[in-house]
Amino acid sequence: MPPINGAFCVSLMKDQCINAKMPGKCATCVEVCPYDVYAIDDTGHVRVQNYNACVGCRICAEFCPEDAIRINPAESEFLVRSPWTFSQIEEIHHKAQTGDYMLRGFGTMGFAPTFDNITIVPSQIASPSPLDKYREECNLEVVIGEDTCENPVRLAYPLLFAAMSFGALSREARMALAIGAAQTGIMNNTGEGGLLKDESWLIKGYENEARTLKRWEPGGHLVVQWSTGRWGVSADYVRAGDAVEIKIGQGAKPGMGGHLLGAKVTEEIAAVRGLPVGSDALSPCRYYDVQDLEDMKHMVAFLRDVTDYKVPILFKLGPSRPYEDVRACVEAGADAISIDGLVGGTGCSPTVVTQGVGIPTVALIPPAVRALKDMGVHRKVKLFVLGGMRNGLDAYKAMAMGADGVGFGAAAEIAMGCRACMACHTGRCPYGITSQDPELRARLDPEVAGQRLANFIKATAEEIKILTMLSGHDDIGDLSNEDLRATEFNTAAITGLKLVGYERRLPWWENES
Amino acid sequence: MSLVVDASGRNLRSVSTELKEAIAKEPVVIQGATHLHGLVAGFKDGEVTIQGNSGDYLGVLNDGATIRVTGNAGRYLADNMTRGTIIIEEDAGYGVGQYCYGGTILVHGNAGDFTAVMNKGATIIVEGNVGAEVATYMLAGDLIIVGDAGENLGNFLIRGNIYIGGNWASLGHNTLLEEMTQADLAKLRDHFDRLGIEADTKTFKKIVRLSEKPFYCAKKPVQIENSRTTGIPHNELKEALHATN
Repeated sequence: MPPINGAFCVSLMKDQCINAKMPGKCATCVEVCPYDVYAIDDTGHVRVQNYNACVGCRICAEFCPEDAIRINPAESEFLVRSPWTFSQIEEIHHKAQTGDYMLRGFGTMGFAPTFDNITIVPSQIASPSPLDKYREECNLEVVIGEDTCENPVRLAYPLLFAAMSFGALSREARMALAIGAAQTGIMNNTGEGGLLKDESWLIKGYENEARTLKRWEPGGHLVVQWSTGRWGVSADYVRAGDAVEIKIGQGAKPGMGGHLLGAKVTEEIAAVRGLPVGSDALSPCRYYDVQDLEDMKHMVAFLRDVTDYKVPILFKLGPSRPYEDVRACVEAGADAISIDGLVGGTGCSPTVVTQGVGIPTVALIPPAVRALKDMGVHRKVKLFVLGGMRNGLDAYKAMAMGADGVGFGAAAEIAMGCRACMACHTGRCPYGITSQDPELRARLDPEVAGQRLANFIKATAEEIKILTMLSGHDDIGDLSNEDLRATEFNTAAITGLKLVGYERRLPWWENES
Repeated sequence: MSLVVDASGRNLRSVSTELKEAIAKEPVVIQGATHLHGLVAGFKDGEVTIQGNSGDYLGVLNDGATIRVTGNAGRYLADNMTRGTIIIEEDAGYGVGQYCYGGTILVHGNAGDFTAVMNKGATIIVEGNVGAEVATYMLAGDLIIVGDAGENLGNFLIRGNIYIGGNWASLGHNTLLEEMTQADLAKLRDHFDRLGIEADTKTFKKIVRLSEKPFYCAKKPVQIENSRTTGIPHNELKEALHATN
């Protein structure tokens, strides 16, 4: 279980602290902490007034000019009285006191299996020679809807930003994602929270609304999400996107609809979502206007009609029954499918759902790819994998297993400055990413965060390029299962990869494609 | 003058392409469109008349067009409409006016189950009866039912008003029967006069939401609330505990 509130030790080192030497000076920690862990008393001394409110975001340590603060997990976190860990006890106390279940933001923690038990096989003499990363070319481009649409989406890298709505994220964070996508030529997704006024020109890299000055090359791609709540959706919204994504579910809470609490529905969010201020934004868990697959086909048909048959239609799936779900999406007419794993995150969800519902990301890929192969559309209908993707290594492994690209959600937030304190649901994000408080939002500079995102994406793309070329390929579309080995029996069993040492697939996988 | 488009045996793309060119110039009449789902999607203006019955998803994402159907309409009529007017001379199927942000829908006959689900601002008028689970999750706008309603009318109503002239089988969760005000009566009379509906506004009843937050997890704002984070400063809490001991 993840650390929850009350699980951190806050240490102020008096010999380094400016305030300890000169009371009344420097109270940066008091100012930056959104949870009131620190207080300044009448004599001007900073003291820790509430240890247990600390969520471990470490913003005080970051802002401390003298590096005088240490935040460490409390000792109680390590004292495991199995199964009664500190967190479990806290959770039971919470439920007993309030009668409410626990809610938590961010994603699932501590779940096996991951991509870590997979290793990459480089090229040597028996296979095609490796390519030189510094002197030779490697194609990283992914095209969505090449045969089906007039304006296919050409992603410069096989990467995208996961759907994170305005409302869950602050306006500044949404703008940063747009700027990051504009600088790298990848895809950003509106999520279900509607479209910001500036977003559609910002993502193309234009400096002003009139689209006269271009600032960022090569310009990103905007995906507008068509979700179960349909917040802020109109014909103009659908036409504003370079692609339309039909959201079926998401990794953190498959089978549940989004829920933005009324307290977070500020004037700006209310305007974008078309809601009264302060009203809860409750998305249903399913489409009321879709009852079966036939209806979904009609939905794809009219979305293509509204967009003049120009843009691709994407599907977003939660981790459920990947084989059947992917088949259904292909039948409905998808140009690309994003499938979200168990580890996928969210702004706010019941802890039990985040923690225990769905299929792990690594186990989703083989059945999803098999479904595409059985339908004869593998590498034509693109498959994007999301949920717990951290770096180029994870991305390469997912792509070698058959995906066409990966998406970053939590990793993008972390690139913006998030420290994964898992308190998104409080709306008090210390870094201004998931908060609607003007004071906290002011801490996030969209351009700086956008630049950080672009750097992260470029570096990750370089990682993918290195790995692709050292395994002897000049195109990410050529990657295959053969480039990977499972280092551990369980992973070999669930992924169908060859087991190291054994150098064959496990017997029950032998007849699978 | 109006252009007549014969849709029988043609697919959505070919009919829609013809419609998109024609609609800017003159009103269009479409015949034989029963098999087409998602017709007249996302138009900003223009007038379309569908002779006979229509398929599902008619007028989806409508953004200003006026659509008239001389026969019955299929399921999901005017899905996600933002502006415009849709008039059905006879009955409409399941799910009329779901997810609508605005505009007016008038059904002269009966409407099916799940009408006005997640309505966010449209005015939906049904001259006949409606089915079950009507106005579930409605967030804003008006639903005016001249006839009767089925079970669970206004289930989980969040905002908006339901006006009903007849009876209902049962009311849904979070609904409250409220007195009609003079403003309500004037609003109904205005709609009825404008749209030519013969109904007595005196018999109408108004249903609104009972509580602002009907959902379990929305009982109170999310806060970190447990014995350790009550907001009492650590040292004060310690002193208080010390004093009691």
